[in-house]
Amino acid sequence: MTLVAIAEQAANGLIISTFYALIALGIALIFGVLKIVNFAHGEFYMLGGYSCYLAVTLLGLPPIFGVVFAVVILMAVGVLVEQTLIKPIHTGKVDRPDEYAIMITFALAIMLLNLANSVFGPWPRRPAPVSRGIVEFGELIIPGDRLSAAGIGILLIVGLLLVLRYTWAGKAVRAVSQDRAAAETFGINISRVSMLSFGAGAALAGAAGALIGPVFNVVPAMGAVPAIKAYIVVVLGGLGSIPGAIVGALILGQVEVFATILIPDTNRALAYKDAYGLVVLILVLLVRPQGLFGKPERRA
Amino acid sequence: MTLFQKVLLGFVGLAAVLPLIGVPQYWLYTLTIGLYYAMLASSWSLLVGYVGRISFAQAAMSGLGAYVSVLTGMYLDLPVIPSLLLGVAAAGVLGLFIGWLTLRLHGAYLGLTTIAFGEILRITVTAEHQLTQGSRGLQVRPLIEGAGPATYYYIFLAAAVASVLLMLLLLRSRIGLFFQAIREDEDGTASLGVNVTLWKSLAFGCSTAFAGLAGGLYAHFVQLITPSMMSMQEMGYVLAMAVIGGFSNVVYAAFGGVLLQILLEALRELGEWRLAVFGIIAILMLRFAPNGVFGWLENLLKRKG
Repeated sequence: MTLVAIAEQAANGLIISTFYALIALGIALIFGVLKIVNFAHGEFYMLGGYSCYLAVTLLGLPPIFGVVFAVVILMAVGVLVEQTLIKPIHTGKVDRPDEYAIMITFALAIMLLNLANSVFGPWPRRPAPVSRGIVEFGELIIPGDRLSAAGIGILLIVGLLLVLRYTWAGKAVRAVSQDRAAAETFGINISRVSMLSFGAGAALAGAAGALIGPVFNVVPAMGAVPAIKAYIVVVLGGLGSIPGAIVGALILGQVEVFATILIPDTNRALAYKDAYGLVVLILVLLVRPQGLFGKPERRA
Repeated sequence: MTLFQKVLLGFVGLAAVLPLIGVPQYWLYTLTIGLYYAMLASSWSLLVGYVGRISFAQAAMSGLGAYVSVLTGMYLDLPVIPSLLLGVAAAGVLGLFIGWLTLRLHGAYLGLTTIAFGEILRITVTAEHQLTQGSRGLQVRPLIEGAGPATYYYIFLAAAVASVLLMLLLLRSRIGLFFQAIREDEDGTASLGVNVTLWKSLAFGCSTAFAGLAGGLYAHFVQLITPSMMSMQEMGYVLAMAVIGGFSNVVYAAFGGVLLQILLEALRELGEWRLAVFGIIAILMLRFAPNGVFGWLENLLKRKG
């Protein structure tokens, strides 16, 4: 393998890591505050892709507004889902809340997937990308649509980190993820923070979907694979950990790109590409369920 | 026996005479598929409803049972019944192993691990296409050479009733009590001297063995299997069936499977919308009637009677 080929693979890995990180950050944010894993996250991502398609192709807005539109729509969807389906868990209205949370989000995923299938049909759609053409770094050639999408993704991630670090709302989110009861005693409105973090988590998934939609295609089933990747990322980094989600995404992106080289038969190597991360997921959960950065719990 | 149980038993009796009173072949076929889902949904509810352990690998386990049964028949020239039993054993043993591996994990962590196992199984079956034909699908010999729909229907009815009865027997024994005690309070159960490790693994193995049986029978009935029978979407249908029927009771979950399959065929003109509506119903059920349609009906009858 030449140096350029290695650099190209590494760059591809970095670009894909950006999207994994965007989706995984949403899951981590939601888990941190609400202590539930959102199994409908891939479908939020899919809805983001369709929001972008609606805004760009049907309403004729410029591509960058497609992303903005997706963020706004998915924020609203997230808030709605949190208020109707997730809130009852924390107000003691359901018995066996653990199983309820898992099953309700899984059922929501199936519902949204089939809803998209009914409304939009199974055909692939492709909204216009933010930029076209190719970008050359010396001998390294990267398609412009991917690079610009990843660039916006990185801006969003940095923006999220700044909000979490410096704003009052961000501090409230971090406080609640660290200690729910203590945060409440200090006057933080838990139900508002829950609503906000679920909405923000959904919006991040939506942004990722809107950014990837023009690069690959928008189809109802597009969420399944990235969602599973994001679960791997959050488990690797530690469920609920924000830096963990970013580091996990960086690791998974590179592992996937380079592990494909391990199996000589290319067809098989590609077919097994999605399995590597799953093996990582199982190993991490069995050996170190708190991941790289998470805090250990008595019961994982 | 309560009035409601008598009504359900009446439905099983009615099911036994359906081919005799001239129900069209098309509906017998639909019901046979429904009985496959009944076995799968009740096997899932055995694990989730009674032991409180979540698994998203149930559809994959059914696929494992199917592929092991078919491949051992093809490559080892085994007759149908032994290959079917090998499929059941493979699913059961792998389930036992996963159950043992994941002893420490609960809730969402367990959900994620089982998703990973299910997806690895599906990816492997798809990738090893020289063995399994991958997503093109694998031709399967019939269960019985030249048998009609009525024969298959009776075989599936017998298998579903036998599976559910076996589960009920298991649940009625001391083991069933251990299962439910683990669901309510694992540490408390262990402190009373119950071997929690053993029963948690065994519950997983039993549940997946029933799924493997369902999958093996299904393969020899439809005679063409693809890895899509192991997908998370398929798992979603099984979940919706168990939840709408009532996942805290194996009988209700089984009826949920048949009920949804019948509705799926009866509402064919609604197209894809059916599945979206089932999703909405499953969500509403989880939120407002966690005992499912049949649990809700039972309560209604109890209050009246």
